[in-house]
Amino acid sequence: MLNAAKSEFTVANAYRYNRQNAARWLVSHIMRYRWFFFTTLFLYVCTYSAYTASEALIGQAIGAVIEPENFPLLPTIALTILGLKLLDGVLSLIGTLSVETIAQRLEVDSREELYANLLGKSQTFHNQQRVGDIMARATDDVQQLNGMMNPGVAITMETVIGLVVPLIFIASLRLELLLVPLLFIAFYIPVVARYVRRLNPMVRRQREQFGKMNAGLEETISGIEVVKASAQEAFERRKFRIAASLFRDYFVRQGYIEARYLPVLLFGVAFGLAFMHGMLLYQQGIISIGDVVALMGIMGVLRWPTFAAIFSISLVQAGVEGARRIVNILQTETELDQNSGGISQPIKGEITFEDVSFGYGKNHALKHVSFTIRQGQTVAIVGQTGSGKSTLTQLINRTYDATYGRVLIDGIDVREWDLNSLRAQIGKIEQDVFLFSRSVAENIAFGVPNATQEQIETAARMAQAHEFIMGFKDGYQTMVGERGVTLSGGQRQRIALARAFLSNPRILILDDSTSAIDSATEDEIQKAIRQVQQGRTTLLITHRLSQIRWADLILVVEDGVLVASGTHDELLRRSPHYRRIFARYDVALPPLETVAAD
Amino acid sequence: MGFLFDGLDAEAYDRQYNDGQLLRRIVGYFTPEARRMFAVGFTMLLDTLSRAAMPIIISRGVDEVQTTQDSGLIITYGLVVAALGALAWLFNFIRRWLTAEAVGNVVLQMREDAFDAVMKRDLSFYDQFPSGKIVSRVTSDTQAFSTVVTLTIDLIGQLLLVAVLIVYLFFVDTSLTGIVLIMVPLIIGVALGFRRVARFTIRHSRRVRAEVSALVQETVAGISVAKTFRQEHAVYADFLKLNRRSFWINLRMGYVFSGIFPILLMIVSFAVAALVYFGGLKVQAGELTAGDWYLFAQGVALLWFPLTSIASFWSQFQLGLASGERVFALIDSEPKVVQRDSRVLPELRGEIEFASVQFSYTDKERVLDNFSLHIRPGETLALVGHTGAGKSSIGKLIARFYEFQAGRIMIDGVDIRLLDLAAYRARLGVVTQTPFLFDGTVRENIRYGKPGAPDSEVERAARQIGNGDWLKSLTNGLDTEVGERGGSLSMGQRQLVALARVMLQDPAIFILDEATASVDPLTETLIQEGLDAIMKDRTSIVIAHRLSTIRHADRIIVLKQGKIIEQGNHDQLLEQGGHYAELYNTYFRHQSLEYIEAQRKANAEAAPESAT
Repeated sequence: MLNAAKSEFTVANAYRYNRQNAARWLVSHIMRYRWFFFTTLFLYVCTYSAYTASEALIGQAIGAVIEPENFPLLPTIALTILGLKLLDGVLSLIGTLSVETIAQRLEVDSREELYANLLGKSQTFHNQQRVGDIMARATDDVQQLNGMMNPGVAITMETVIGLVVPLIFIASLRLELLLVPLLFIAFYIPVVARYVRRLNPMVRRQREQFGKMNAGLEETISGIEVVKASAQEAFERRKFRIAASLFRDYFVRQGYIEARYLPVLLFGVAFGLAFMHGMLLYQQGIISIGDVVALMGIMGVLRWPTFAAIFSISLVQAGVEGARRIVNILQTETELDQNSGGISQPIKGEITFEDVSFGYGKNHALKHVSFTIRQGQTVAIVGQTGSGKSTLTQLINRTYDATYGRVLIDGIDVREWDLNSLRAQIGKIEQDVFLFSRSVAENIAFGVPNATQEQIETAARMAQAHEFIMGFKDGYQTMVGERGVTLSGGQRQRIALARAFLSNPRILILDDSTSAIDSATEDEIQKAIRQVQQGRTTLLITHRLSQIRWADLILVVEDGVLVASGTHDELLRRSPHYRRIFARYDVALPPLETVAAD
Repeated sequence: MGFLFDGLDAEAYDRQYNDGQLLRRIVGYFTPEARRMFAVGFTMLLDTLSRAAMPIIISRGVDEVQTTQDSGLIITYGLVVAALGALAWLFNFIRRWLTAEAVGNVVLQMREDAFDAVMKRDLSFYDQFPSGKIVSRVTSDTQAFSTVVTLTIDLIGQLLLVAVLIVYLFFVDTSLTGIVLIMVPLIIGVALGFRRVARFTIRHSRRVRAEVSALVQETVAGISVAKTFRQEHAVYADFLKLNRRSFWINLRMGYVFSGIFPILLMIVSFAVAALVYFGGLKVQAGELTAGDWYLFAQGVALLWFPLTSIASFWSQFQLGLASGERVFALIDSEPKVVQRDSRVLPELRGEIEFASVQFSYTDKERVLDNFSLHIRPGETLALVGHTGAGKSSIGKLIARFYEFQAGRIMIDGVDIRLLDLAAYRARLGVVTQTPFLFDGTVRENIRYGKPGAPDSEVERAARQIGNGDWLKSLTNGLDTEVGERGGSLSMGQRQLVALARVMLQDPAIFILDEATASVDPLTETLIQEGLDAIMKDRTSIVIAHRLSTIRHADRIIVLKQGKIIEQGNHDQLLEQGGHYAELYNTYFRHQSLEYIEAQRKANAEAAPESAT
């Protein structure tokens, strides 16, 4: 287990599954419950034997009722049939419950495995994944594993057993009678395979088209004001008609393929031919009339497996696809080297970028960036969305490593620091602050679970959050999230600031490009940030001119390049972009100095 | 096997509808498909007869073979059964294919009608229903309806087979048919009972699955927080508890669902044994032939499956009808905005007059009351006020998105109700608070305002916004894909695209609901410059959230509860110290240069403390 070594989180005594590929992974999961699996297999063989035997016995009953000397046997035969049928029912019930248990365990176990694995993955991994994708793995894909097992694998077993067992019974009647059923199966297998090959793409296309039709309509309706204001109703109608007509075409074509399901034709013809064969043998005196009726009864057993196969194939396919996606995640290895044993000491807070570039191929998110932030400074990072502002801060706490150049903290390359020590001293407040569905107090104390109520309140006061928290009915015990209060962006940010006060990082990175708020909230947040920046190096990714205005250093980033840096006054003189912003405020601007760098 | 499990997870809709009307509507939609439907009925009948004939012919054959030596006759019997099997397949194939075509066409027609109905509605309709619900009526409800129509046709086919067989058996032997019939209520009863239990377990299962999803969602989204603070173990323990609980609840549901078929089979086995016994007695007594006896034993196997379908069918059928009814309700409803004439104004100057207008979205609260306002051609008007003061309603009434209840709105002196809406709106530029972009390129989105405009014109419009500097930040310039709803662009870029769209359209009247989302200062500057360019030389109505917009307006209208309480320019109004001054202190003060400078001072004062 290579990846276990790099994992940031492991569960003691966890069951080890084979993660080499999707198939082996699935088998190792199922084999954890091998007794359930083999029990099911055994019971299905028994149940089909009982079922087929009861059908054969019905035929034999004919022999009994025709010959007067066998008359007394009738009650016994009837009771035996009842017994076999009940046995069939009971065994099939137990077998199904057994396979159902595996199916449910498969879902729960794989979710557990995936979850523990996700917790062990590095921040880098999580930054690269979309939450929605991971969600789909942990919910939809594991649920598909459940469906793959039952009814998917269960029906597949039934199909095979349900085709083989009756054939054995037919052979026991008379070996020649196998002729028609064997021919039937020889045709049946390629015909089903072809059917699935033709149907699957059509089902997928139809589903995709339904999605497209929905998405298109959703778009039209969401943009209805634009549609109406631009008088483009006719254009949208045409778009929808094309999408809906295409869906109709796929719907009809899928209906056509399904309607044509050839195994039904094969079965009907085989049924007739088997009957003919049986009667001819009877006429030649080779088998009895009871055998003929038994043959027809057993042929009837084949009916269900003939139909059932199509249900199971797509389910198994979907399950294997899901397993593949899950195993992909399980196999992904953490890229960053933890460097435990590296430098571990209190950070003072000086940050230096030495000719730093980041990115692969042509898409460099940062290009040759150099600057120095002195201990305790407040820095405003300004730039358009996607200019590289966030990437710049992510190199500081080693969310990513620079591809070229060096990032230094207190003069030491970040790669030489112990990752734990480094991250523990760098706090980060994201643009959309994440809060857990717990109480306000628990959220503030998330990093310091044993913090006292007093410490929590002090932190909240400094973050200007105390007042609005006390405004809630349950104060600090108020639940956040779906089952509790919904907090505004400004309130969430202040709770995150309180969290930062408690954990007291040496460097704080604050993404403050939140939505516009009213003046009072703005005041509160400004006060909180003024508090938090004291005594620590603070990096603000911000849109607020007021913050930019009072920063010790302003970094202007454009398209991955640091185009200007300096104080407000310096930038007014040097950066045309920066001047353009303030020009709208009718400020008396100093004369522009032409600088080669800009 | 799907039948018995279908519809269990559907919510109940308590809607009232008249069966007759509904039936007439459905028949109406199927009328163009009458010939296909007739063929469907005919092939269904033939299919049923061939399928019923198979066991009957076999039973005749079994009787015949015992008395004849003619192998030609035996071969004929075999071939007839095989041919019947093939015919049954053929008729079934034709029936299902034609059904798919008919249903496909009907649903397409319903979707188009529903879409047209949606497009005719005014915006009050879209306020009332979230877009997801409207979409699901047009696509999913029609889909559910089509599924039920197909199922109904299938079920009719199956029941027809049951009926034909039972009638035949009845003529062969009345008392044995009685044994078969006793099974009918038994199977239906058990199946109905099963559904009741299943509904209970599935509800619990769905709830616990939702809980698991929510937990996973939360921890995955918050994983960075958990990691920063090293709380993985606590998070994992929470997950484990819930995951294990979900196992037991889902296992219970799985057991219930797995159990039903074996149980039904066991019930049927009593009937089979009884038929073997009593049938055997009758054969011995010479009252029944061996072949007929076989027929009874086989018949039971053919019957029980359709019977379980009936148990689940009724609720399915009702759900399908309810879906259909929701679609018809959508198609039949009347839009509220109605034009009385379709006059096209030769050239729009952009003079707007509200005369004693009364307006409310719902019956409950009045948004505008006896509202009068005259806007001169080319004037830039800023509307300010608290949320709910009626700012955006004014813009929406000018765009004729809503119907007002009293008074008059005149455009260039002509009643707005007399205008040709398409022609009028083509001269109207609207930018909403969160600008909406369609999936496609920036170029396509700009062109949406004037379809057919040449590339050069699109480019010129784009360059008129912020000097075209914003195009540099797009990876592929005008050919950059904006993504779904413009998701690949930043908020600021989306606003710039929306402004360029209006620029190209070159409207006589410009209505802007200013965005509240914050944008980086440079993009903000570009947007402001773009607005300056658009507002020049045309009537502009701005629901203002930006201080700089207000300061550049010709006139500020201060609204409170649907009434104009102050108007004038920024300096005059601030001096008055009235409602505007209050609004300024609430919403705009922190955007002012004075505030920005004051923060610097506060910061400088706070700094020495930290030095200690």
